[in-house]
Amino acid sequence: MPVMFAAHNVTKVYDMGAVQVHALRGVSFTIDQGEMVAIMGPSGSGKSTLMQIMGCLDRPTSGTVELDGVDVTKVRDDRLAEIRNKKIGFVFQQFNLLPRLTAVENVELPLVYAGLGRKERRKRALAMLEAVGLGERVDHRPNELSGGQKQRVAIARALANEPAVILADEPTGALDTKTGDEIMQLLERLHEEGHTIVIVTHDPEVAARTRRIIHIRDGLISRDEPVERAKEVART
Amino acid sequence: MSILDTLRTALHSLRANTLRSILSMLGIIIGVGAVVSVVSIGTGGQQLVMANISQLGSNLITINPAVPRGSAGRVQEEVRSVFTVSMAQEMEELLPDVMNVVPIVTGRALLVAGGVNVQANLVGVTPPFVTVMNYEVARGRFITEWDVSEEQAVAVLGSELATELFEDTDPLGQEIIAIVSNRRQILRVVGVMAPRGQALGGDYDMQLYLPVTTMMERIAKTRTVSYFAAQASSSERASEAVDQVQFFLTRRLGDSRRFRVASQDQLLETMSSITQTLSIMLGGIASIALLVGGIGIMNIMLISVTERTREIGIRKALGAKRRVILFQFLTEAVTLAALGGAIGVGVGWVGAQIIGYYGGWPGIISAESVAVAMGFSTAVGLFFGIYPAAKAARLDPVQALSYE
Repeated sequence: MPVMFAAHNVTKVYDMGAVQVHALRGVSFTIDQGEMVAIMGPSGSGKSTLMQIMGCLDRPTSGTVELDGVDVTKVRDDRLAEIRNKKIGFVFQQFNLLPRLTAVENVELPLVYAGLGRKERRKRALAMLEAVGLGERVDHRPNELSGGQKQRVAIARALANEPAVILADEPTGALDTKTGDEIMQLLERLHEEGHTIVIVTHDPEVAARTRRIIHIRDGLISRDEPVERAKEVART
Repeated sequence: MSILDTLRTALHSLRANTLRSILSMLGIIIGVGAVVSVVSIGTGGQQLVMANISQLGSNLITINPAVPRGSAGRVQEEVRSVFTVSMAQEMEELLPDVMNVVPIVTGRALLVAGGVNVQANLVGVTPPFVTVMNYEVARGRFITEWDVSEEQAVAVLGSELATELFEDTDPLGQEIIAIVSNRRQILRVVGVMAPRGQALGGDYDMQLYLPVTTMMERIAKTRTVSYFAAQASSSERASEAVDQVQFFLTRRLGDSRRFRVASQDQLLETMSSITQTLSIMLGGIASIALLVGGIGIMNIMLISVTERTREIGIRKALGAKRRVILFQFLTEAVTLAALGGAIGVGVGWVGAQIIGYYGGWPGIISAESVAVAMGFSTAVGLFFGIYPAAKAARLDPVQALSYE
């Protein structure tokens, strides 16, 4: 499988005036196309920073980041926005849907920024909502949807532009166990269909449902292992 | 992202906050409304005045006696003894660009016809008066040269005066008694003038016109003329005509301060400069209202950007470039301002109609003032929208996404 994501010695330093915070201290790893990976770590470990850098929302202080064969370390803001639009599908803990838009309009948003025509947009958005099992609630606004439904809309939105990677930040964090399980099933299904999925979480149960876990601690990778071994480690 | 999509997004978020949108437009609405109605009042009033002045007659020159400075105690005699009838003939013969010089003698009299009596202005004139004043006879005839040379006791009535004195009966051939102090003079009506309306210098329709010689010899018992009305040979030669009159009268009277020459052009210029100054002043005040409206829009837009920080973060995460966010907010500001401008034009139109109704002039709104008002309010939206929009576009997506 070709490499979808590659980080080489990535560091990130936040300059907080008097203090410098080293969020990442040199992180290197690769993720192949079609993998389903969890990035785990306690809060303050640097996993959120890593996610922002992987999601092209931010740039590393040093090191290089490659996404789908493109070096995204030093590109301009507008180019980054373009890469986010085309290559990355975000799923957030708090869903981050626009409250005034209907489900289908929310899913259309990345397509609007990609410059698609109105009809094509609507067609694709409806297909995506169908794919996540929300074909009947397309004209509802987020406040008329349950948490699980909102997260499904968000996943449909993430899928809309056929991105290289789906980046999910605590996708089950705001959901009850049952709904969270349904969302994980949906993500597992997308993985089986060939999507590359990265889930940032501190929940071991969520991480256990992926195929590989990268542990982050104090800005460094402490362990990087397939899930089978992680389970064994947990047992012993 | 297409322009249409941007516009749709902007309208969408404006609709979501209808009350706030309207409130923030209010400043612009009032400002534009004020500009449009003030300009309309200005042009309407100006048109009214201009129409009045040009009605006076084409290429009209008026020559009035004036009070020299420092002779306040002897005003009456000095002024009255300035102009004579013969000066009118001399001016007409000697001055190349002056024609139709009409000596005019005015006075008030009590007119009696049948059982009716009316106070009216008597105006002693010569035949060219109708040409100079651009005035028309409706029925009968005007005063002739023969009437003047023979001091005929004939009268031509203003239209309104004719109705006041004779109501429905035919005034032609009827007799009027004019009473000034103790003298009575019988005048025979030979004509009625066409309605003229109120103009600068009195109500033409309420005046009685008679031969200047009859007025001087039989009624006013005077040797001097009240003022002259004359015509320049053409509108291009108007200022030369004024100069020639000035030169002639200075030589004749030995003092340029004892008379005043005014051409219609000068009058028009003076009036238009007055109304222009007024318009500029009022327009300036209205522009301040517009400026305040613009600041109101900026205020609301800044609040809006802060409130929607998270939305901006989401949009950026989904791939909205800086430019797209900038345009989105700029479009909102411009739409607000332009919409406010359009409503303001409507408000201004209504205002102009109401004020025009009471002021007695047409509440015209020129296409220019609408264009300027719309252009200006759009510009205000652009100017005051650019800062909030730039602020929104500059937001860091990571920080914007974590904004609570």
